[in-house]
Amino acid sequence: MKVTLVSRSGREVIKGGLELHDSATVADLQEAIHKRTKKFYPSRQRLTLPVPPGSKERPVVLNYKKGLKDYCDGNQNNITVVFKDLGPQVSYPTLFFFEYLGPLILYPTFYYFPVYQFFGYKVERVIHPVQTYALYYWCFHYFKRIMETFFIHRFSHATSPLSNVFRNCAYYWTFGAYIAYYVNHPLYTPVSDLQMKIGFGFGLICQLANFYCHIILKNLRSPDGSGGYQIPSGFLFNIVTCANYTTEIYQWLGFNIATQTVAGYVFLVVATSIMTNWALAKHRRLKKLFDGKEGRPKYPRRWVILPPFL
Amino acid sequence: NFLLCFLFSLSRYLLFQFPFTPIPLYNLLYSVAKLGLLFVQVNSLSFRCVSKCPICHGHPFRCSQAPLPFHLQLDRLHRLVLFLALKSLKESGHEHVYNAVEKPLLLAQSAAALEILHGLIGLVRSPVSSTLPQVGSRLYLTWGILWSFPEIRTHILVSSLVISWSITEIIRYSFFGMKEAFGFAPSWHLWLRYSSFLVLYPTGISSEVGLVYFALPYIKGSEKYSVRMPNKWNFSLDYFYLAILALGFYVPGSPHLYRYMLAQRKRALSKSKKE
Repeated sequence: MKVTLVSRSGREVIKGGLELHDSATVADLQEAIHKRTKKFYPSRQRLTLPVPPGSKERPVVLNYKKGLKDYCDGNQNNITVVFKDLGPQVSYPTLFFFEYLGPLILYPTFYYFPVYQFFGYKVERVIHPVQTYALYYWCFHYFKRIMETFFIHRFSHATSPLSNVFRNCAYYWTFGAYIAYYVNHPLYTPVSDLQMKIGFGFGLICQLANFYCHIILKNLRSPDGSGGYQIPSGFLFNIVTCANYTTEIYQWLGFNIATQTVAGYVFLVVATSIMTNWALAKHRRLKKLFDGKEGRPKYPRRWVILPPFL
Repeated sequence: NFLLCFLFSLSRYLLFQFPFTPIPLYNLLYSVAKLGLLFVQVNSLSFRCVSKCPICHGHPFRCSQAPLPFHLQLDRLHRLVLFLALKSLKESGHEHVYNAVEKPLLLAQSAAALEILHGLIGLVRSPVSSTLPQVGSRLYLTWGILWSFPEIRTHILVSSLVISWSITEIIRYSFFGMKEAFGFAPSWHLWLRYSSFLVLYPTGISSEVGLVYFALPYIKGSEKYSVRMPNKWNFSLDYFYLAILALGFYVPGSPHLYRYMLAQRKRALSKSKKE
């Protein structure tokens, strides 16, 4: 069959179109485009069906597993596909690895190396126990995140735009340095022993709960990497849609209770707002997907992310 | 009917174009005017404008809508600022400009903060992304530099700053005021609104940057707004380094804003040519 490839402005991306056999899949189409254009590898291509002009609906994205025939609405020999270049792509594990590497390296730098002399302080300093525990806690957290990235998470998309690398790394690395500077400061004022124990204890419990949440989420998806969405259940997911974000937020709260810095609390507020945005989108998507019609289960009433607020 | 409409709008606009009167008197007059308009609005239920009327386009309620007094008040405030600035410049020299304009300037620039709210709730069409840096830099200079560090007030850049700001704002707010009162603005006014920035943005931005730069020694010396360690919340703030960071924002920020205004200019002036 003949595939005409156009850009969103209507211009033909590949002159003369592409010729594929009738049982070709979308993945075959992606390969063919890549062969012809060299630059656009499959994960960079966004292929959709054309939308009638003036229509406000979202275009149908072609699933790489399906056959092209499934998208031909009648004319079996011809199909027009809209192409969009998503820009250079980076795999999610790579993105996450570099994001988390920054805090993992920067924080110990402030703890172990005499960096404060460059800010005008004397090299000799007293290290409080809470600062040492904070170091272990922080490094454990980011180490756990890297391990989860490679061994636990099953991503809904394979790649992410390259620009996200710079944006996300800036966020994690800047905040990492900002918090590390204050917690390891020579003039750091520790909190009471009890408060420290409560903070770290609570935080540790939440980190373990968070890990378990990730295991549950992983088991919702099949290992062949097809993504997709299911209704999460079990453990905290019975009450909260995004229990993984909830435990993450509480875990940071534990860290802040134990270390008590404005920098840490600012990070908590920003991280909470970002995760709340994601949680609202996920909750909405799940409710829309599982509307109870046509045999699909209905999404149960649940808190979005932070009972009893949201 | 068209004549009535037009007379209403004209009288409404002129009503707000008093030379700057002391506030209580203005409030009284404004309340009286508002009551009068309300009376007319009630009566106009039975009176329809001709659809050709450029102000209300056949919609009776639009005729009785008062223009946003906010924009017209600000227009008059900035006229006062400009007048006082030029007067003191001529009579006493650039060192005394700040003292002469201080009160209306603080009021006018602080009131501009409401513009962000207006943008958020949709009362004005300007996007928040362009008003936020503008209003932010104004508030920072007005309160964070000029009001906080008196030593910088005698600098000559204060005069250029105040004059650039006030001329820009006069053109901008009277343009909005005209559009709201009459439904349109004359083409020379449109041209002025979208061309004055070509000169006034560079002068204004250079004055802002210059003033922050020359205020740096005073900021460092005074330790104002700075928090030092150790403290219970393990927090520190150095206003001096914040000021340097603020200067840093101007490096990408000014060309971005200027380019945005150039694009706006192209769009607005070509659109008016087409009509």
